Amino acid sequence: MRFSEASGRQVVSTSTAATVGKVDDFVVDPRRRAVVALVLKKTESGDTLLWSSLTAFGTDAVTVTGAEQITAPPPEIQALSGKDHRILGKRVLTTSGDDIGKVNDIEFDPETGTITALVLTGGDMAGISLVGVGSYATVVRPQ
Amino acid sequence: MRTSEVMKRPVVTMAGEDVAQIKDIVYASGGGAVGGFTLAGRGLFAGPLKVGLAWRFVAALGADAVMISDDSVLQPIAEVLAESASTGGSGGDVLGSQVLTDAGTDLGKVVDIVLQVGDTQGGQCDVVGYEVEASEALGSKGTRVLIPLPDTLAASGEHLMVPARAKDFVAQDLAGFGAAILAFRAQLEGTP
Repeated sequence: MRFSEASGRQVVSTSTAATVGKVDDFVVDPRRRAVVALVLKKTESGDTLLWSSLTAFGTDAVTVTGAEQITAPPPEIQALSGKDHRILGKRVLTTSGDDIGKVNDIEFDPETGTITALVLTGGDMAGISLVGVGSYATVVRPQ
Repeated sequence: MRTSEVMKRPVVTMAGEDVAQIKDIVYASGGGAVGGFTLAGRGLFAGPLKVGLAWRFVAALGADAVMISDDSVLQPIAEVLAESASTGGSGGDVLGSQVLTDAGTDLGKVVDIVLQVGDTQGGQCDVVGYEVEASEALGSKGTRVLIPLPDTLAASGEHLMVPARAKDFVAQDLAGFGAAILAFRAQLEGTP
């Protein structure tokens, strides 16, 4: 699944069947090369849903046990979120110091949150090549 | 690549943060290799930094960025300079110096320096040539030409001494220069 198609998806509570929010953004941990949390909008309280607290990332909706799973971002998530750590649209540098374009989209495994591919302006790269994401660039290791 | 292209290039960690940009090059081995870099902050109004980057910590010198593992490899400038000087470098600037052959011919003034990166992480960053504003001796006065350098050479503040045969291996552009350096150095080694 790609960030572009997953964004805007409804988050539904399995206990009340009510929509508790909408997917707005993704928090990625470049070390684990995985999505660790979702940033939601249109929630009642809090805006962060940890990957470990969601029930399923389905093809039509994201399900959680209840609205109480949506919280304020814990410090370790806060450290990975914000503009500096956003991958989409960021310049891509290889570990050898060459600029190879921008990140257009990201493909992830909806079961585990693992990033499977980076969609770059110059073509796709495997998720395993991701090294780091900082304020200046996303760093990748070419295969 | 030319040193002028390296100037202002950002220094980026593997975590994607631009921690500095290249301000100047510190030469080692008597001007024959790059020992490290002095750095400036990023952004328009940022001044020079008190830390420098020794060549051995450079993970890669790419076309768009100088890559380092993280900002802990930056060390006080004095240490970078001391390290380069200990391998015999003067650290002085050669730009503007006059290139003389050992036969006493003036080849011109240095306007840029050509670097060649060996395998980084242990490899050297060699100074392999000078871009020179040609004198009459080269028959193309006023144009910029590339002169290959031997592995080691003598340099004072005003003159740089190159073997007279360097004149025969002058190249017009970087494309053919790599081969010229190899041919020149092979000939120097072959005839002591």
